[in-house]
Amino acid sequence: MPKRDGARSGDDAGLAGFGRYAGPATLILSSLADGPKHGYALTKDVEEFAGVRLAPGTLYEALARLESQGMIEALEAEDRRRPYRLTAAGATALQAHLDAQRRVTETGLRRLKANWGAV
Amino acid sequence: MKTPQERAARLLRWYPNAWRNRYGDEFAELLIADIEERPQSAERALDVVRAGLLARFAMAGLAEWHGAWQPDPARRVQVSLGTLCGALTACLALAAAMWSQLAIAWEWTLPATATQPTMRATLVMSGAVLAFLLLVVLAVAPVGYAIVRNRNSRMVAPLLVLAAAVSLLAFGGHHFLYQWPGSGGHGAGGTLFPVIPAGLQAFAWSLTYWFSVHWFWLATGLGGWEIAWIVASPLALAAAAAAAATLVRRAELSPGLLAYETRLAAAACAVMGVFLGGCGFWVYVGRPPGLAHAGQIDIVAAILLALALAAAYQAQRTALRGLQLVRG
Repeated sequence: MPKRDGARSGDDAGLAGFGRYAGPATLILSSLADGPKHGYALTKDVEEFAGVRLAPGTLYEALARLESQGMIEALEAEDRRRPYRLTAAGATALQAHLDAQRRVTETGLRRLKANWGAV
Repeated sequence: MKTPQERAARLLRWYPNAWRNRYGDEFAELLIADIEERPQSAERALDVVRAGLLARFAMAGLAEWHGAWQPDPARRVQVSLGTLCGALTACLALAAAMWSQLAIAWEWTLPATATQPTMRATLVMSGAVLAFLLLVVLAVAPVGYAIVRNRNSRMVAPLLVLAAAVSLLAFGGHHFLYQWPGSGGHGAGGTLFPVIPAGLQAFAWSLTYWFSVHWFWLATGLGGWEIAWIVASPLALAAAAAAAATLVRRAELSPGLLAYETRLAAAACAVMGVFLGGCGFWVYVGRPPGLAHAGQIDIVAAILLALALAAAYQAQRTALRGLQLVRG
């Protein structure tokens, strides 16, 4: 996937191109990793596991970007609610992004422990 | 108290039709559920307004498109180029309004009463206007050829509007060339450059009376035809800009031509930036007396020009990004 403005090096380049939508995109992909969901179910799931409530406009901006990048796909609408499903490309991008995040998290925790003890 | 359905429908109107056609139903369902859970939320309203306006900017070619509602990349580039065309036409009209004042003042009183900064600013602005007109010719010719060659019936209406507006501007501009109190390129004192005919200066001046002090002369007994010209000429300019933008959006342009036009647009933005620099120099540094004096209306024109140029630049950047997608 080509890098765009704001893209960082590393294996999380798949989501880095999302700029300020990288956060919502990660939350959405993580939620869809558990199975297809429509907009409101996504909002509630993200709120439950991340403590963040995605506003409707932001949610659909991120969904549109993920859809245009082929990371998610829309399923048939069910009573005006359309579920979205994670694609293989989306799973790969999420895996790479979370691996990179985990390295940052582990490094930070290790250094905190070494230099600050138990904070 | 409105129902959640009514409130959701009202919020949805911030989005353009193309977006609503694709996401409208599901987004309305999300909004209804959200409103039922949190009846009052300023954050939600602001977020929807922001996202809706951004989608409208994308529709206008001023922001990137995302999602299943977007057309193919080549079409997106054309939308941006159409907006660019309209914005640059507005730039040209405002630039002509300011430049023609200086050009005419040069003819009547300069350089005898001019300060050095004013003369330099006038030279910079004149060079920019000439360069811009050259770019217009280079841009219009291939698009005009493509329109004639393809003979698309959807082109007829904007072509007729453009022809009518340009005819009116040409006829009216020529009619009022030397027939306005206190204006006109008399040609006796020599022109700014040998390459700029006195008639061109006067024509630019007569096309832009609507943005000059002549508005304030309305109360002092202008004739009916003069008032009609002041009212009709900006409308004709706006119609010409809108028709030209529509033609660019509807024309069948090859990827090579899209790239060529996008590069020309970048050059046109740069040239208009130079004009704006010269204009700023004239307004804030030159501060000349007499006919070349920069009034409040010129400051307003400079601000509007800066805004139109910012829109043109943004459309050019969006077109450039779309072009990268066209080329794969």
